[in-house]
Amino acid sequence: MGSSNRKKKEKKKDFQKAKLKVGKANAKAANFTDTSFKSKSINVNQQTLEGDGSDSVEQFKQTLTTAATAKPDNLRRDALSYITNQISAKPPNNPVGTAGVLTKLLPLISDVSTSVRAHLLRLFRVLPPSEVRPHVEKILMYIRGGMTHLAADIRSDTLNVMEWLLEVAGDEVVSCPGGWLKTLNSFSSMLGWNPSVGSAMNSQGWTSGSKSTLGTKKGPEAQARQIQVLARFLQAGFQPETAAPYNPKAYWDNIYRLPATANPFAYLNLFGAPRDEDNEMYPDRISRQRVFDAKWRSSIVAGMDGAKKEGGTVGRAAALLGKALRGGLGDSAPLPVR
Amino acid sequence: MGKRKLAALEKVDADLVNLQYKIRRDPKSYAQEFYDQWLAYDAQRQIFISSPSTASTDDLKKFHDLVDLIAHVADLYPDLTGAYPDHLKELLNQHHAILHPELREKVVGSLVLLRRKDVIDSTSLLTTLFPILISTPSKTLRSLLYTKIISDLRESNSKSTNHRLNRTIQTVLHNLVTSDRTSTKGMWATRITRELWRRQVWSDAKPCDVMKEACLSDNEKVVVGGVKFFLGGDKSREEFEDESSDDEVDLKRVKHQSGINKKSKKRQKAYEKAIDKVKKQDRKKSAPHPLNFSALHLLHDPQGFAEQLFQKHLQNTKNKFSLDNKLLILQLVTRLVGLHKLTIISLYSWFVRFLTPKQAQVTSFLASLAQATHDLVPPDAIEPLVVKIANEFVSEASASEVAAAGINSIREIAIRQPLCMTETLLQDLVLYQRSKDKGVVMAAKGLQSLYREVYPELLQKKYRGKEATMGLRSGETRQRKFGEEDVGGIEGIELLEQYKEEQKAKKLAEQEGLPEGDEGEKKLDDEDDDGFHSDEWEVGSTDSESSGGWIDVESDGEDDVPAKKRQKTGSKAPQLVDGDKENVVAEANRISTLAMTSILTPADLLKLQELRREARVDQALGNRSKRKKELIDRHIDEGVTAEDIELPATLGKKSTKEERVALAKDGKPGRDEHKSTQAIRKSKKEAEGKSSTNKEKARKKNFLMTVGKARAKTKRSLTDTTKALRQHVARSKNGGRRRNDAPP
Repeated sequence: MGSSNRKKKEKKKDFQKAKLKVGKANAKAANFTDTSFKSKSINVNQQTLEGDGSDSVEQFKQTLTTAATAKPDNLRRDALSYITNQISAKPPNNPVGTAGVLTKLLPLISDVSTSVRAHLLRLFRVLPPSEVRPHVEKILMYIRGGMTHLAADIRSDTLNVMEWLLEVAGDEVVSCPGGWLKTLNSFSSMLGWNPSVGSAMNSQGWTSGSKSTLGTKKGPEAQARQIQVLARFLQAGFQPETAAPYNPKAYWDNIYRLPATANPFAYLNLFGAPRDEDNEMYPDRISRQRVFDAKWRSSIVAGMDGAKKEGGTVGRAAALLGKALRGGLGDSAPLPVR
Repeated sequence: MGKRKLAALEKVDADLVNLQYKIRRDPKSYAQEFYDQWLAYDAQRQIFISSPSTASTDDLKKFHDLVDLIAHVADLYPDLTGAYPDHLKELLNQHHAILHPELREKVVGSLVLLRRKDVIDSTSLLTTLFPILISTPSKTLRSLLYTKIISDLRESNSKSTNHRLNRTIQTVLHNLVTSDRTSTKGMWATRITRELWRRQVWSDAKPCDVMKEACLSDNEKVVVGGVKFFLGGDKSREEFEDESSDDEVDLKRVKHQSGINKKSKKRQKAYEKAIDKVKKQDRKKSAPHPLNFSALHLLHDPQGFAEQLFQKHLQNTKNKFSLDNKLLILQLVTRLVGLHKLTIISLYSWFVRFLTPKQAQVTSFLASLAQATHDLVPPDAIEPLVVKIANEFVSEASASEVAAAGINSIREIAIRQPLCMTETLLQDLVLYQRSKDKGVVMAAKGLQSLYREVYPELLQKKYRGKEATMGLRSGETRQRKFGEEDVGGIEGIELLEQYKEEQKAKKLAEQEGLPEGDEGEKKLDDEDDDGFHSDEWEVGSTDSESSGGWIDVESDGEDDVPAKKRQKTGSKAPQLVDGDKENVVAEANRISTLAMTSILTPADLLKLQELRREARVDQALGNRSKRKKELIDRHIDEGVTAEDIELPATLGKKSTKEERVALAKDGKPGRDEHKSTQAIRKSKKEAEGKSSTNKEKARKKNFLMTVGKARAKTKRSLTDTTKALRQHVARSKNGGRRRNDAPP
């Protein structure tokens, strides 16, 4: 009984006029702000009015950061296209150098947004090939990460990046540390032609196709594309080396001149961690052929045969791969492939 | 055409958590997917290792997620992920200083997870984590590693003690402490050992050895850690045991709730769990108590340890430890000396310069000195100290607290070594019972009553008191010589023997129809070994006449006159008490033979316990000769503290108003605002989640709801009223509840 009365009173209180009393301060208003505190300094949030377009170097760097870290897709995409424009301009405007651009933007290879990935590829294509070559090892790491990504779209887009890299620096791709065997590993995992997974399981299923391509509408096309890029990769690996033209100064240059390439003694691995078989670099064609024969030939050939039987686009791509294999291994050993 | 439906794993932002779930459900089918992620992990790892300090946040996040995924499913693909634990260890070892905190935590967590899934063993996990714990500058990582190490050690010791692992870790800790004595790294050894000791994971001698080495370190923090362990480790262990047994389940409540609330599988499970817990606790209660030796008792070579500790940290004048820490060390040294009866003669001369009232924390020094005294310390070593205390503290001019503390500390010393006192000094001190201050009076009286028991010759005749004088005359109270020990034996064995003899005599008397007396005793001597059967013990009644003065076996009368006198008067008392000296000696010899010649059966031991208890009751009622011994026992167990010394000074002091107010408020509900007691009780009840009583509800009920019934009641007929009253009476007989079934 008491409670309802009380509630009524409380409700009423809101609409009553506050009484003024002599000798007492007025009640504080509802929106009163307490300003009685003291402060020795005033902090103003950093804001700048200038700097919009006035300093192109700063702006480039800022855009680079935006491209790498901004949350909204659109921002990243726009930043990428801005950088592309700047680099492709004549003369190119690239204050941080190709190395700086690559370190910032390589993680975007496995970006969530499709358009960002497309723009990234466009950007890569305008980079000067000679400056890309020293960084091939690092780019390959990101490509391998992208090739085995969970999302199929990212995988297929990464293949485009791989294709570009093969175009600009095919030799370096196959001869850098880890570039040959590890990349082959990723390819076979992508295609499902993997001997090590089979051994990890007690029994193998009766289906030979890759799980990742099953049930998708794009499946056959994606697989065909993967086989194509693999064929390209193998072609690059088995390309016969052209003998360097005779240079009478070469002997003395070798002794007295500074080497022109970056890290010329990489094959000695003086400062890095010890490499295992996968991480080893295979600098010449013979060694690549040998290790391919030992480790990958049987599984890739078996997978290829299966793909050929599938026919269609996949079959055509497999035939292409067969050609590449024949071309590459023709002089080392006879192939059991028609 | 509509939008194509995407399978779960095809989505661009398909999460690894989802994949993890699928892999765990069907590892065979998802081997390919797992292998992909393994390769992705490998690539990310290489990206990270190529530049660990400048990795982008994107890369870090990806790496973090992949590490997480693989850690969770690594046990399903052992051949693929063989190198994974090594990767994590390497990562942690080489880059723990620059790793992003989140990633670092994930790596540590993954390693622990692998341990739980038995992918790696405890030793390899702990040997990885431990060096990082010691070397890392990050506080968060240290605390994380510390908790993980402790929990892993606990877990691997939970089912049965993992001796091998314990030995390994204890050796590591031991080496840590001994390898570099100046560094603070030993702190971790002390912390880990202390925690595991507290939780009773480790309770053998090896951790004590680690702590012993910690005490002998050069670093102040490590030393204090070790010393505190010995001084308080056992107490904290006991407290922890009490705490853990506190969280009992209220089974009745759970049962009640399950009867009221909706029945669900979850509630059913909770109920079963509660039952399990209660059962486990019951089992624990009935289980035999584990033998837990105190750390001080488990020490190897306490004499050497105490000497080293004293020489290194106390006697060494170059030592710059703070006074508090030095006091802690002193406490440990003196505790060891008192407990193990060690002899460190230089300790007592060291004390001299600290025994002035102006010395900071002098009561702690006094307490330590008392602790360091035992009956094997030469009186010559302590006497100057006692004299110094008397001179410095106890005089008419000194403050009453000081005098009280001085006398009390002298008393504490004298309890342990009564020979430290000279006659003149004692008589002087005893005279302080005429002081005006109550604390001084009590302290002086305490000293007097102590000497009445142990050495009454030193007191003036008028202060000796009746019992001591009588004891002196009869020769019962005899002053002990230096180094004299009680003859050891089984406590109360003489009681048992006497009981046996009586039983036998009774039996013989029954058989032969003879009154019990000398004959029975003779027979008893003949068949001493084989004469009794344990089944006789149950029927035997405990005669009250047998209790008597059997406790003081060693008390032998020196002069014949009082003994004769007692022989005359004490006809009711058992005949053996009043025997002369030879008789008693013969008795003592015979006592030792019982335990030597026969094996005590469980029934014997039970009887022995019972007899002992009886004897103790007798002692508490009349004879208080063993009070002193009990006092000493208590101190040996607990040590003397500064509070013990200061205690008499607090007597007779008027308390301040604040203290009195605090005392009055103690135990009453808190009153932050002005409120009635009722209101406070009500809010307390509400806070406990209890509802109001039926009475309260009835009182609050709206008037209009009750008015109808009230009106109807007045209009009832006489029969209705009677019926209602009858029902009321019946209800109150049945526990005051209305049943569903209507009463007839």
